[in-house]
Amino acid sequence: MHQLDRRDFLTVLGTTAAGAYGITAFSCDQKQEAAHIAASQPDSLSPSDLNWGKAPCRYCGTGCGVEVGVHDGKVMAVRGDVASPVNRGLLCVKGYHLPGMLYGHDRLQYPMRRGSDGKLTRISWDAALDLIAAKFKEALETTGPDSVGVYGSGQWTIFDGYAALKWVKGGMKSNNLEPNARLCMASAVMGFVTQFQSDEPMGCYDDFEFGDDFILWGHNAAEMHPVLFSRMLERKRQSPGARIIDLATRRTSTSDYADMYVEFKPGSDLALANGILHLLCRKNKIDTAFIKENVVFKRGEEDIDKIGYGCFGDQAEHYTFADTPRDATYDDLLAFLDDYTPEAVSKISGVPVAQIETLADIYGDQTRGTVSLWCMGVNQHYRGTWMNNLITDLHLITGKISKPGSNPFSITGQPAACGTVREVGTLNNRLPADMVVTNPEHRAKAEKIWGLPDGTINPKPGYHAVDMFRALTRGDLKALWIQTTNPWVTLPNLNRFKRTPGDGRFIVVSDIYPTPTTDVADLILPAAAWVEREGCFGNSERRTQQWDKLIDPPGEAKEDAWQIIQVAKRMGMGHLFPWPEDDWHKPMFEEYRSFGLGIGKDLASYDQLRSTRGMKWPVVDGKETDYRYAAGHDPYVKKAKGVHFYKAHEYGDKAAIWLRPYHPPPEIPDKDYPFWLCTGRVLEQWHSGSMTRRVKQLHQAVPSAYVELNRADAMELGVKARDWVKLVSRRGELTLRVAIDGRGKPPRGSVFVPFFDEAKLINLLTLDTMCNISKQPDYKKCAVRIERT
Amino acid sequence: MIRPPVLPGPVGRDGFLSLLGVVVLLLPGCDKQPSPSRSAGPVPAAQATAGWSQARALRRAFDGAPPVIPHMKMGANCTACHTQVGIQFGEMGFAPPMPHTTAPNPGVFARCEQCHVYADEKTLFVDSGFQPLCQDLRKGRRATEISPPTMPHAVFMRENCAACHTGPAAREEIRCPHPERIRCGQCHVPVIDNSDFSRANNAS
Repeated sequence: MHQLDRRDFLTVLGTTAAGAYGITAFSCDQKQEAAHIAASQPDSLSPSDLNWGKAPCRYCGTGCGVEVGVHDGKVMAVRGDVASPVNRGLLCVKGYHLPGMLYGHDRLQYPMRRGSDGKLTRISWDAALDLIAAKFKEALETTGPDSVGVYGSGQWTIFDGYAALKWVKGGMKSNNLEPNARLCMASAVMGFVTQFQSDEPMGCYDDFEFGDDFILWGHNAAEMHPVLFSRMLERKRQSPGARIIDLATRRTSTSDYADMYVEFKPGSDLALANGILHLLCRKNKIDTAFIKENVVFKRGEEDIDKIGYGCFGDQAEHYTFADTPRDATYDDLLAFLDDYTPEAVSKISGVPVAQIETLADIYGDQTRGTVSLWCMGVNQHYRGTWMNNLITDLHLITGKISKPGSNPFSITGQPAACGTVREVGTLNNRLPADMVVTNPEHRAKAEKIWGLPDGTINPKPGYHAVDMFRALTRGDLKALWIQTTNPWVTLPNLNRFKRTPGDGRFIVVSDIYPTPTTDVADLILPAAAWVEREGCFGNSERRTQQWDKLIDPPGEAKEDAWQIIQVAKRMGMGHLFPWPEDDWHKPMFEEYRSFGLGIGKDLASYDQLRSTRGMKWPVVDGKETDYRYAAGHDPYVKKAKGVHFYKAHEYGDKAAIWLRPYHPPPEIPDKDYPFWLCTGRVLEQWHSGSMTRRVKQLHQAVPSAYVELNRADAMELGVKARDWVKLVSRRGELTLRVAIDGRGKPPRGSVFVPFFDEAKLINLLTLDTMCNISKQPDYKKCAVRIERT
Repeated sequence: MIRPPVLPGPVGRDGFLSLLGVVVLLLPGCDKQPSPSRSAGPVPAAQATAGWSQARALRRAFDGAPPVIPHMKMGANCTACHTQVGIQFGEMGFAPPMPHTTAPNPGVFARCEQCHVYADEKTLFVDSGFQPLCQDLRKGRRATEISPPTMPHAVFMRENCAACHTGPAAREEIRCPHPERIRCGQCHVPVIDNSDFSRANNAS
């Protein structure tokens, strides 16, 4: 049944020979045992028997390097890549269990079409691709480019995103291209764009070794970015003065390790940041010289009635608010901040005055490096762009920016939210390298690179993600292709998006496992995952990472980019993808790369990416950039010292401090719905759980969703841990088990529910309110009541 | 009361192994009778190794993956019991030490739950066809019968050799016969690559 592998055989032979040589007595028993073990464990391999290839981790935006151990066409193990500057060999539990993600028994392997009876039937790739081409063509011809759409992912590789962008914008002349990253980091994009006219952070992970104070704004890094949190803990260990400050609406694993925990009421972070700004200005802890040289002041629409929340009245169908920026001055800022005295802010936020003053002292201390970190708490916010602006304001007004150990640092939740979505520009108004479809010069540059006639690219932005699914439900969107994401778990207020059979829409879903989203699809395509194909991701610190295909995908699964290219060819748009079928990755990357060369968005060459553990752009003359805009680091800065915000041409090469007020949340707990509901992730389960739940160790650690309750609230309600309760919001209800004093401890009057569990869809309850500028939904605050069951 | 660890079906080795598994699968400490592989008495090495492999396989996804936590939830202060040398808790069992290099203050390894999770449930979300790297614990090769065996696993994050190779938690087949010689790496070297030496320029 089993064969002895050659090396085992040699080992056994060797020991036998040694025994015969008479060096030591080797008993007959032992010999038999050795042979028995070898025979009974034929696939008993050592790590050195495996072929190890490099890849970035498949999950979050940290971008840890892993080595992938392959034997006989299967991934059998991974290990942290000691050569990766990101994680230096350490991983988190998800990373260590990556291989299992590929081998769930229900992997999608063949194209499947849903018949009128709702049943799925296997069809050929040819038939599937022809069908998509026909449906998209039909929609384009009868209802125009606004009626087709592609909804992609921050887990798309650069190739997938670039193929989709070129097909949608250069081929179908539509801008209905959106990523799930709209739900994830759109506010950070708009934050950086409004302040620096160029997306993405200036700092890098070296900030974790140079910084003294790490201020986490609503960022549970211990669970969401564990390896980065490890770097903070290690910094604390090596430099005992270093501190972690946790600003949050509930206690989490991060709070357990924090030197100061600041608890604020949901939404009042807007007031808190303004309160810190107020104190910095009043106590003259600002960097006047830096401001004079590098900063302009701006403000936009502040009237709450004109802005709204994106989910009430007419805005519940279309939310198209556009900000109206205007110039401001430092004096305007001072007058504006009059409202944000520590006492006033304390009243709004519930944060003690002493803590607000401590935070101002930390930001104002020029002897210490300050790194502000944030992720979903700030980005998934009804004023997410404003919050991004305010945090960066704190760094601009103190000059603590573009320096090792002092930076505003937004962290991403998906492996290529930066690399694909933000850099390739797979958003409803964007093109590669910070360009937008509304700018004629940008369109012209893209048309030139793509060899397309002038006027090909549509200047009108498409739907943003939430409006795209609202349009689908209304019927304005006829054909939609969803890749590598699971919107029927992750969209807010899910009840709105229920499909009815025979609704005339055509939905294609490419994924690796069945999900609630494939459940509503008319056509399901099996995708190649992670190291089953060649790819590139880009992480939170501007690091582009490449990996080669290491194993074959199961069945007939194909990578997303290939699927798009094949459909484009069937629609007569093959000229967009002129590369040979067996070697298109590198030429496609090099074409994409040409968008950013010479403008501060220079990616490394494909060959360089292949031979390194990733490179941080801008990469000029083969050298990566640690700190953007900083003299001595960024090759685009010609000054001898200081900073140069060279991308902000419209602001005179200066960065913008924005005046952004506090607005109350759209839905505040009241008599009928007295609890705040916050949703999010847990360490073991990633996003909608479609991958991590197929891994035994991860599933068994957190097998289902639960509701975290404050102990006092639970006693008042008369429920205890593991009891079932019903959560009810104005939009939906869900029955969940109670968790008390677990890893998260919400304050009185608030509850937390993770969103990974497709059997417990918390997004049936969430509100589809959005950031007014980024249109990113707010999953962190709405009102619910709790009923005993 | 400590729950026994989750026991799914056999990991797909030969029949005699799964039989053995039942005995060895009991986690260290919860079985009053010492399991054969941990007893000081003579156990046929093949049995011990086979059973040990299965116990290992149940506690980790593959060799090199962080093991899951086989006991009930006891709070976050893991290092209270899992000290540098481990602690014996009467009949409850032995809390083995950590193989990671430890430091006096919290650092990179301060958050155990970042990598080690509880195995709470017996059920799976869906079945898996994952075939793990699962090595023979006696893979450490000897050049001659009296040579020190090579290390069959990576040393990274397993710098504290004594954690697994000495003390009550050390399975017999990997127990070090000379714990007093504390510089293990002096004689035992890792196998980074299986290939033989060859000269880059073989022209001569």
